[in-house]
Amino acid sequence: MSKTRTEWFSTFRYVVPADYENWMEKLAADGWNIDKIGQWSSIRMVFKKTDPKQYRYIFDIHTSAKRDYLETYRQFGWEFVGQMASCFIWRKEYTAIRPESFTDLESIEKRNRNVMNAVMVSFILFTVITLVMIAATLLSSSSMSSEETLQMVLFTACAALFSTYLGWVVWKIYHNRDR
Amino acid sequence: MDYQKIRKRFIPMSETMFFILFSLREENHGYGIMQDVEKITRGRIKLGAGTVYQSLSKLESDGLIQPTQEIERKKQYRITKIGEKILSEEIERIRELFQITEDFR
Repeated sequence: MSKTRTEWFSTFRYVVPADYENWMEKLAADGWNIDKIGQWSSIRMVFKKTDPKQYRYIFDIHTSAKRDYLETYRQFGWEFVGQMASCFIWRKEYTAIRPESFTDLESIEKRNRNVMNAVMVSFILFTVITLVMIAATLLSSSSMSSEETLQMVLFTACAALFSTYLGWVVWKIYHNRDR
Repeated sequence: MDYQKIRKRFIPMSETMFFILFSLREENHGYGIMQDVEKITRGRIKLGAGTVYQSLSKLESDGLIQPTQEIERKKQYRITKIGEKILSEEIERIRELFQITEDFR
């Protein structure tokens, strides 16, 4: 039976695209490979033990991927590993020179800005939810039972925690936007 | 889009954008552009897929290039009249820079 390795919440741990790419590349070099990435791979990924591979991984984001987007990457020799929502994962095996997909600072920053903007939408959404929950708790605390108040406080705390995490992700990508 | 706005967006132009636009004086596709740019810069610039796709999208949305046809699933592009005008202005700007620095030698 082949050996496997399960990784949880990888996109939540390696939030900067370049870090995610390097993490995947390191795993491949250690002989841990994955052939298909799907919608739920951001939560759970199962890697199989193989011979060590020297892959260059690319994390790209594209909200409305047209056919020519996929074709362009394929023409350049990139293998489509899969996609999680609008995040596309590509790879290319190499020996000497590490291949790049984004070859100037402008396009690297644009890719990172696109990722940051996608996270920013969720950050704004969760911040609004947190603020609404705080206001609702304060305004209706007198008419709620202690159990209902506790539920509201817990829900608000979860939303605030996630909102803080998303804010940290935006900050982290912004400060690493040039790589 | 208004020409002055396009001019403001593209001049001065990045080296990547310049060579892609320069290459598209003749019809070409993404991978072909990379090969052409590598050839005309004698191997100095080798464009990646992500950079080429992003640049083509930007140039197309601002009307500097336009898709012409699709051959074997490869979308072909060519420079437009506006693109030619912007390219000429950029070449003139580079020529002026060169002339100024030459006068100081």
